[in-house]
Amino acid sequence: MLATVSRVDVGMPAPDFVLSDAEGQSRSLSDLRGQPVVLAFLPPGWDPVQAEQLSHFNALVAQVPGVDAELLGISMDGHWCRLDFGGDELRVPVLADRDPSGDVRARYGITEPQAILLVDADGIVRWRHAGAMNATPRAEALVAALTALAPPSPEVADLSPEAIERNRGVAPCMQEAAGAPFTIMTTRREFVTSALAAALALAVVPLAATAEPLADRLAARSPGGAVAPVPVSLRVNGERLSLLLEPRVTLLDALREYAGLTGTKKGCDHGQCGACTVHVNGRRQLSCLTLAVMHEGHDITTIEGLAQGETLAPMQAAFIEHDGFQCGYCTAGQIMSATALLHEPCGPADDDVRECMSGNICRCGAYPGIVAAIQDVRRRA
Amino acid sequence: MRPFEYSSATSTTAASRAAGADASARFIAGGTTLLDLMKLNVETPGRLIDINALAVNEPAMTAITETAGGGLRIGALVRNSDLAWSPVIQARFPVLSEALLAGASGQIRNMATVGGNLMQRTRCYYFRDTAMPCNKREPGTGCAAIEGHNRIHAVLGTSSRCIATSPGDMPVAMAALDAVVRVRSVRGERTIPLVNFHVTPGAHPERETVLQAGELIVGVDLPAMPWARRSHYRKVRDRASYAFALASAAVALDVAAGRVRNVRIALGGVGTKPWRSPAAERALVGQPATAAAFRAAAELALQGAVPHRDNAFKIELAKRTLVRALTTVAGMA
Repeated sequence: MLATVSRVDVGMPAPDFVLSDAEGQSRSLSDLRGQPVVLAFLPPGWDPVQAEQLSHFNALVAQVPGVDAELLGISMDGHWCRLDFGGDELRVPVLADRDPSGDVRARYGITEPQAILLVDADGIVRWRHAGAMNATPRAEALVAALTALAPPSPEVADLSPEAIERNRGVAPCMQEAAGAPFTIMTTRREFVTSALAAALALAVVPLAATAEPLADRLAARSPGGAVAPVPVSLRVNGERLSLLLEPRVTLLDALREYAGLTGTKKGCDHGQCGACTVHVNGRRQLSCLTLAVMHEGHDITTIEGLAQGETLAPMQAAFIEHDGFQCGYCTAGQIMSATALLHEPCGPADDDVRECMSGNICRCGAYPGIVAAIQDVRRRA
Repeated sequence: MRPFEYSSATSTTAASRAAGADASARFIAGGTTLLDLMKLNVETPGRLIDINALAVNEPAMTAITETAGGGLRIGALVRNSDLAWSPVIQARFPVLSEALLAGASGQIRNMATVGGNLMQRTRCYYFRDTAMPCNKREPGTGCAAIEGHNRIHAVLGTSSRCIATSPGDMPVAMAALDAVVRVRSVRGERTIPLVNFHVTPGAHPERETVLQAGELIVGVDLPAMPWARRSHYRKVRDRASYAFALASAAVALDVAAGRVRNVRIALGGVGTKPWRSPAAERALVGQPATAAAFRAAAELALQGAVPHRDNAFKIELAKRTLVRALTTVAGMA
């Protein structure tokens, strides 16, 4: 049996829900469609208006290349988080669920004490951070996510007094009503929103843990001297993903640890098991034996990218129908390999399939179901 | 994995210059051997020079083209799967296509390149384990395999310093096909017959090829050999697929009126380098294409083989593998 509760992950639509605030005012997620929304699943007693939040936010912003902005104040007004940039004020909807056993948490598959999700204007989850109460979020991963969500461009960076004056009064919620062009404000608004999401995530851990500059952290982790992270831009499942990575980060680790796409599995990490199989420019490859930095501009497809919305890809459906797995750990790699196989010159017999799939090891021994699933899809194609 | 500097080269000249200036530099293409060994700290390059982007400016690096003499020129960045599935390779040099498809897995063949495959390093357990002595990894520390577990080790071309097996399949087929490796550096280009490209361990197991500092493999030439249409690669291993050879044979055979007119023989899984057998070839020419003659040639091919505690079986296995490969080709229409 498949698990009945699945996690809402990056790239997936955010399920709708209604939350009420202290004054009894209700707000549903779908009401806010058309603008980015921060979903914060936080422990009871969490207060977004702590003084150190400003430091968190500003320290974080300082690490994003090309962005120069100083946040002077954060306040909450119902579901709105007000961000004061010294004359310019932005309002970002923050839906905070502080009920540890709430059913919104359950619908999002959140089992960790705290989680922050960023939902984009189309209602798609763009970033997800979850962890234990005292787990320190990785500053470099947060910065990488920020960079991915809001690539620093002149528009984004432009929080100069003149630009602020130009945009004064065009708060996110009013902008749509006014029908103003979206380009500039949307970009900046998304940046601010994502930055806020990161700041919120950081805010639940002690300030001291996150105050040291990113470069120092990386240096501390690197025996024998640090190598500066380099910007890497991939297209993952059709979405542009910009990351800041050390050259030694494998494609597998970039996907799992930096992009939050944990569908791709790390088995042996030495190219012997096939669990990490992804498609690079349409061909199956082992993401553990290649560096992310070697894939600048490449199209990467992971298991998260196969289904069309709620409709499983034929190979995914066939694996379920033919019991092509037991524990499931190798399954993502098996399915990615099997999907690529459809476009390779693989012979017609079961033995041909076994040969072509020999790079994907299944410890449970689900091979008969795997071969049957692949043959079924090939017959129907 | 140790940190390293990374750069992507846009020309073979730039790549060669960068590598020549830094003794700790390695080229990276498919990365399937190098990154595996870097994770084990067996390879610890200070700089990686990514040569994948070379193909943009130098399309010959990923091309398979006809040469004037009727042979083929294969770019160093051609992926193993593309070479294996190339119709011209399948038609003219089936042994090469079969050798490639007998190696690694579908995913790895999509990554691994011709040049990288020539540089593939041994699977000796002790070479891969930094807790063990190994003359190849750390010259002068000794060889743990000679007195240790050596079932997968070589019986041909060994020395008192090293018995590590050359692991590849593609180079074995290329050795049989008289392939020539083309290498380029800031000093210009030179060619090396593939059988001379790899060297036996001797007193210096750390040295595996004749490549000099800064030299980059840019391709492999296969000379015309029309009769290599009748060629075959036979590989014997512990499981049916996705395993290294215990013994393998790459053969091309030209039979006229029941007699051997021409033959090429190379062995894999048993040598410290891709093992061409000129003595066996010489002995077969002019002989009837029979199992008895093939067996006699196989005896010659394994003459001088030195077994260790666990790998004596390879000597007989290699002979039978070679006889089977020759018999298969002799039976081809």
